[in-house]
Amino acid sequence: MSLYAAPRLLPAGDAAVSVELADEISREANARVLTLERLLLDGRVPGIVETLPTFRALLVTYDPLVLSWERLRAVVDALAPRLARAPAPPGRHLELPCAYGGEYGPDLEEVARRLGLAPADVIRLHASADHYVYFIGFTPGLPYMSGQPLELTIPRLDRPRTKTPAGSVGIGGTQTSIYSVESPGGFWVLGRTPLKLYDPGAADPILLRAGDHVRFRPIDGTEFRAIAQAVAAGAYRPRVDALESP
Amino acid sequence: MDRGAFVLANRLVGNEDGAAGLEMTLKGPGLEVRRDAVLAATGAEMGLTINMREAPVWTAVRVRAGDVVAFRAATAGCRGYLAVAGGLDVPTMLGSCATYLRGRLGGVGGRALQKGDVLAVRLARPDGVPPPERAVPPERRPRYPAEVECRVVLGPQADHFTEEGIRAFVEGPYEVTPQADRMGYRLKGPVIEHARGHDIISDGIPLGGIQVPGEGQPIVLLVDRQTTGGYTKIATVIGPDIARIGQTRPGQRIRFRKVTVEQAHAALAEEVRRLDEATPH
Repeated sequence: MSLYAAPRLLPAGDAAVSVELADEISREANARVLTLERLLLDGRVPGIVETLPTFRALLVTYDPLVLSWERLRAVVDALAPRLARAPAPPGRHLELPCAYGGEYGPDLEEVARRLGLAPADVIRLHASADHYVYFIGFTPGLPYMSGQPLELTIPRLDRPRTKTPAGSVGIGGTQTSIYSVESPGGFWVLGRTPLKLYDPGAADPILLRAGDHVRFRPIDGTEFRAIAQAVAAGAYRPRVDALESP
Repeated sequence: MDRGAFVLANRLVGNEDGAAGLEMTLKGPGLEVRRDAVLAATGAEMGLTINMREAPVWTAVRVRAGDVVAFRAATAGCRGYLAVAGGLDVPTMLGSCATYLRGRLGGVGGRALQKGDVLAVRLARPDGVPPPERAVPPERRPRYPAEVECRVVLGPQADHFTEEGIRAFVEGPYEVTPQADRMGYRLKGPVIEHARGHDIISDGIPLGGIQVPGEGQPIVLLVDRQTTGGYTKIATVIGPDIARIGQTRPGQRIRFRKVTVEQAHAALAEEVRRLDEATPH
């Protein structure tokens, strides 16, 4: 497990390349990925069509009729020395309301039992953590987050659920995720946020960004329903603190 | 799923390459024309009838208000395309006017069309609509063979497989299973052996990326794929050959042929030329 001395460019067909910067999941590796993405986008390199950051790699989609493989490699190599020194791109701090347990968090009791904790402790540990968003992926707007206390580490469900409601907040391994649309899933569902992580009708349909920090605020069912109504009416904005300065 | 056929349908009616049109999988709708229009049908062999009379495909045809346009079930190929001069009037979302069913995004309410839907058409540019009867020359129309060959570039994780695994993959053939849609095609054939584990740290999935989970059967990920995943990707189908997969249906066979990135780029330039040569002037 390490950070690479030089980027590895792995061909991903004729129009994409996976630029791998490490073989580990770490904030440092992810900061390099997000920095590389920002530098490529700031550089407005003609022929770069799309960038997709993940834990330790950036998938760069390009138009080979505009940008040759050699040229793309040269651009990435030229940026590489700046990745190690660059500070992590600034992220936002968001507070997301979350109703834990009961109908919203059907797995809370079982998670508490398996971890040897009281349900209230699981909630306290989960809601006190700074959950860092490594990237958005899988389904539209779904965040891959970690940062929760290691006491909450738990293997994923043996048998994934076929349906998990949108907004479900789940844990698995050392990660937390939030289901952005109703979908199958292997995470233990501790609670649910009434916010929409993905709202196809909104001007900006995706709530979270790679590099954001999320904190969950425990709410009860009454508040859940009130916020859900406000969200449906377009009258609710989550609390977003100023950008973290680099 | 078949960009070439889609682009040619648009060009036949004088649209930009990316104007919104219909993709029809295995069968097409019956449509009542509300306003005079010029349209073109391309792709899978599913015919085209106007008021029950056979009309030419791969050809711009004029239709009048009240006409009924219909298709039969595809006899070869899987995806047919219908373009209308001006393009369908659907919202552009996240830079695309495509429909993404799983995300309920784009098109008509993010869903497949239903009986009773009315599709609005944008006004064509006054100089834009070409005279009808423009056609893609018959010799330049694609054929849809029972067994298709797809060129692939190995990687990004070809090093996670044994030599025998790679050989099994390129020798094939692989059969399309019923689990095949715009998200991806699950294939069935020779087992592909991993050298070291089938899980990776989740990363981005390119168009045409071929995942191989633990049981060693490949899944080709296509236009509506998930953006990220944690299975090893042995190879990636090159852009010009995505359509060859998109035009297959369950039961058909696919063979993969290994090419270099340079060969893939040459193939892409060739594909651009092929489409330009097929475009009537």
